[in-house]
Amino acid sequence: MNSKPKIGVYICHCGINVAKTVDVDEVTEFSSQLPYVKLARNYSYMCSDPGQNLIKDDIANEGLNRVVVASCSPRMHEPTFRKTLIEAGINPFFLEMANIREHCSWVHQDKEEATEKAKKLVAASVSKARLLEPLEEKEVEVEPASLVIGGGIAGIQAALDIANAGFKVYMVEKTPSIGGKMAQLDKTFPTLDCSACILTPKMVDVDAHPNIELLTYSQVEEISGYVGNFDVKVRKKARYVDMEKCTGCGLCAEECRLADRIPSEFDAGVGKRSGIYLPFPQAVPAKFTIDPERCLFLTRGKCGKSPKCVDVCTAEAIDFEQKDEFVEFKVGAVIVATGYDVFDASRKPEYGYDNYDNVLTGLEMERLVSASGPTGGSIALGEGEEAYVPKDIAFIKCVGSRDESVGNEYCSRVCCMYTAKLAHLVKEKIPEANVRIYYMDVRAFGKGFEEFYDRVRREGIRYIRGNPSEIFKRNGRLVVKVEDTLTATPLEDEVDLVVLAVGLEPRKDSREIIDLLRLSQSGDRFYLEAHPKLAPVDTATDGVFVAGCAQGPKDIPDSVAQAKGAASSALGLLASGRVKVEAQVSVVDEATCRGCAYCVEICPYGAIEMVNVNRMGHEVQVAQVNEVLCKGCGACVAGCFSGSIQQRSFKDRQILPQIAVLGVLR
Amino acid sequence: MSKDYEPNIVAFLCNWCSYAGADLAGTSRVQYPPNINIIRVMCTGRVNPLFLVNAFQQGADSVLVSGCHPGDCHYMEGNFYARRRFTLMKELLEFIGVDPRRVNMSWVSASEGGKFKDVVEKLVKDAKDTGPFEQFRRNKINW
Amino acid sequence: MVDLEKLRQTAKDIVSRDDVKHIIGWKQGTYGFRVEPHFAAEPDEADALTFSPLCTNNLATYLTLAEKLPVPRGEEPDTRKVALMVKGCDSRAVVQLLVEQGLTREGVYVVGCPCSGVVDVKKVEKMFPDILEPAQAYWKNDQIVFQLPDGEKEVSREEVLPQKCLLCRYPNPVIYDELLWDEVKAWGSEDYEDVKELEAKSPEERWDFWKDKFSSCLRCYSCRNVCPMCYCEDCVLDRLNPTWTFRSVNLSENTSYHLARAFHLAGRCIECGECERVCPVDIPLMKLNRKLYKEVVERFDYEPGIDPEATPLQASYRPDDEEDFIL
Repeated sequence: MNSKPKIGVYICHCGINVAKTVDVDEVTEFSSQLPYVKLARNYSYMCSDPGQNLIKDDIANEGLNRVVVASCSPRMHEPTFRKTLIEAGINPFFLEMANIREHCSWVHQDKEEATEKAKKLVAASVSKARLLEPLEEKEVEVEPASLVIGGGIAGIQAALDIANAGFKVYMVEKTPSIGGKMAQLDKTFPTLDCSACILTPKMVDVDAHPNIELLTYSQVEEISGYVGNFDVKVRKKARYVDMEKCTGCGLCAEECRLADRIPSEFDAGVGKRSGIYLPFPQAVPAKFTIDPERCLFLTRGKCGKSPKCVDVCTAEAIDFEQKDEFVEFKVGAVIVATGYDVFDASRKPEYGYDNYDNVLTGLEMERLVSASGPTGGSIALGEGEEAYVPKDIAFIKCVGSRDESVGNEYCSRVCCMYTAKLAHLVKEKIPEANVRIYYMDVRAFGKGFEEFYDRVRREGIRYIRGNPSEIFKRNGRLVVKVEDTLTATPLEDEVDLVVLAVGLEPRKDSREIIDLLRLSQSGDRFYLEAHPKLAPVDTATDGVFVAGCAQGPKDIPDSVAQAKGAASSALGLLASGRVKVEAQVSVVDEATCRGCAYCVEICPYGAIEMVNVNRMGHEVQVAQVNEVLCKGCGACVAGCFSGSIQQRSFKDRQILPQIAVLGVLR
Repeated sequence: MSKDYEPNIVAFLCNWCSYAGADLAGTSRVQYPPNINIIRVMCTGRVNPLFLVNAFQQGADSVLVSGCHPGDCHYMEGNFYARRRFTLMKELLEFIGVDPRRVNMSWVSASEGGKFKDVVEKLVKDAKDTGPFEQFRRNKINW
Repeated sequence: MVDLEKLRQTAKDIVSRDDVKHIIGWKQGTYGFRVEPHFAAEPDEADALTFSPLCTNNLATYLTLAEKLPVPRGEEPDTRKVALMVKGCDSRAVVQLLVEQGLTREGVYVVGCPCSGVVDVKKVEKMFPDILEPAQAYWKNDQIVFQLPDGEKEVSREEVLPQKCLLCRYPNPVIYDELLWDEVKAWGSEDYEDVKELEAKSPEERWDFWKDKFSSCLRCYSCRNVCPMCYCEDCVLDRLNPTWTFRSVNLSENTSYHLARAFHLAGRCIECGECERVCPVDIPLMKLNRKLYKEVVERFDYEPGIDPEATPLQASYRPDDEEDFIL
């Protein structure tokens, strides 16, 4: 393996992309004179089959043992040419690329300068190539199970797909029931099918699936390990209800002293619930939970003579002694489907959300129009004798989206269509209502969206272009102050109800998952995918995938599609049963390691530990790299004063010659 | 210094942000001076500050270390270590009399092709102003 | 007050213990104002131990410098404690070695010697040239008294102390198993005047200063070898593959050497000044070290060699480390 380097240099024309500004022949001639270079060739497209065959033939016939390809960025075609080397029978890490396209021909115009620079870059790569070492790509076994964090539609779909393929799924949901935000919706745009009708069967499937272990009212506490082998620790919060015994009859909730006194999360605060509650009738699991922050017995230690829930529960399921439990298991892949938070309308004080009862958010309106909602679907405002049916209704779009003043520059992607849907539902229930929608733009980009938007407009709903500046009360009615920007007319629109089409935001607790899984955030603070186009469900952490609104605002079909994508990526990992780990990892020279443990402290992955070795009869401590955990960043290498830890393919002795070459040839 | 003096800048770019940012500059056909020569490392955390000393010895007139913005490191923490080490080395080099404009660090993300161009242009301008680096350059280069 | 009787008795008691290999201390040198390290393994060897303003050496170096000879087959390595006499600055080396896991707390027995400042022997020799017979010295209030063949000579501390002692903020050991006498009152304060003075100059002036110093370097490596923190068995600067610094002695390689040495000590230098003391050509090495010391304190709020539980500076970071210079 360590025979004298015989380097082949291949200069790619990339059609005219390189050849236009770089004199390819001159670079070839120059390269052939470099030390250890056996031959240098150029070809129109090195990445094409004939181009790759050129390399393979030369390896076979000329005995090349190192290859330098001068072409595009290694971020593009390094995997391609590594494969070429494998096919030619030499170690794939005997490849070095010189980036003479993105870093040279495309950014410089002067042919002479660009040619000179290309020469330098090739020479630097050649100087490193001769020092390359063969590396072994290790494989580790994959634990044939996965973790899905979040039980909304994205998590549900991902879990079902993986479970149906025959692999174990642990689904962890923070709240007492799965279903997520979709369960709160009445109808879905643009088809107007009933949200619950299409969601609840899937929820039941999750609960009943033999391959899915559902952990509701639970939180992931710790995740350690690496792709294929994550160790997960989950906290099952105390429900104070024995899941085995509870029949879900609901007597407890009816009798609870706090019945109908606590704002229901599920009804977005529009409806009320008890201290012991089922979030909604179709909740899965259909088991009750005691709210530890509200329950009189849990907060004050006393609830009448004895808690009523205990009195009425014939199944004897109430257990105030219950404690949090911890569950630990191993998985090979993780899917993050933690969803989103609805924008808090209080942050746009000009819209008076905090001040006026008849300013609602889209989600509150959703519960109001829902047949399963607190009003049974009738849009009635006010209480008792003051109840009234609103006649003039205004919707305001882009509340908390496309708005730098609240730090959300992005479009939430669903508000245009859910506004149209809600407007339609209002019109359906109150045909005589005057509905207008204040908008900046209408973005009806999806399948059937534009048609639905047209239909809603034909139903008599008025779209007025303008971004309201203020909402205030006058003579008991709400006034929307706005300029119709199409006619340049200032308006003061008196209405009975304002619905704010609030946008989607990253969850307030999104940091928890970032810390657990080392995810990154994009500029909009949603979780960052590995590549915006080519790896939209992957994350920078191998084996961790993202689905649904956790990655960015999206509607149900997109969430489901992404969930299926994430599931199939996870399945690819689980089904193959093995995964390759980074080969360009750090390695310690035991003989010179001084045992200072800087590297142990530095390593972000905990991949380095101190071990005892025998050095001429003395027991000494030296660092040792766990090559499976090491991700190959090299931070330890630069932190090692004695140079005893080195990163494969990026050793000091491989980088210093590059510096020398780039310096010397000025 | 002669008018024709073309400075030589050696840059260490992390694979995930700045190298990708430089790639994007290419893809976007942004134009910048050819005086910068890039060495790819996986992370700025890999950049031993002694590389900078070595680059000056071997003929660099200016050096650049560029990586992901704080908090965006592909390896979570590498750029934080790099920043601390670089700070110390920059202070040290300046203390012995190296012009501060020769010792540079930048944060360039994968989407900042334009910023990469700006950084290169600034460095080239500065390097032209400061002239060839002679202070402790090796006389005879032997590699 | 220095109590030599107690020092020797304590050392005897320590080396009499089964779990102690030897005690490292100072003894009178063979000529002039020189004091040399003394390894006492037996009680009677402890009689030669001394402590005086001449005890300049930082003996912590020997904790890591001591060669570990191959252990013959069938024999067990000697894992007994090493006892060490330390001044304030020396003790910080012990702490920093603990931070860097160069030793274990159980493996070392630290005998603390509160110190009122040791002399700069070069200054003393200039003051009293041609003293060949072993001379002694002791502290007396703010004076140092030299016992010379022609009688005692009192000199003010300012005249003979090196800068590191004049500025010393840690005259008392920061870690010890046993303290030989009462702690002295700390006198030093740190304003980095000398560093600031050079910083205030132009880059060209600074380079002129250092060019002169680095050019004179012989590359004898004394500064590295004496440093208690330079404990790599295989120094990168000695390596040939890769070659960071060529062995030829010229301005480029010398500068490279000194930059690497200073950088490797950033956040680790405990200000004992040994490098500067042993330099045969008087390169102000502590200026480089103190420059970085200043940055470490001011930018990272870190002081090496104080807290044995600390995380090493260069193996840690704060997300909000200053970065005003980053483009």
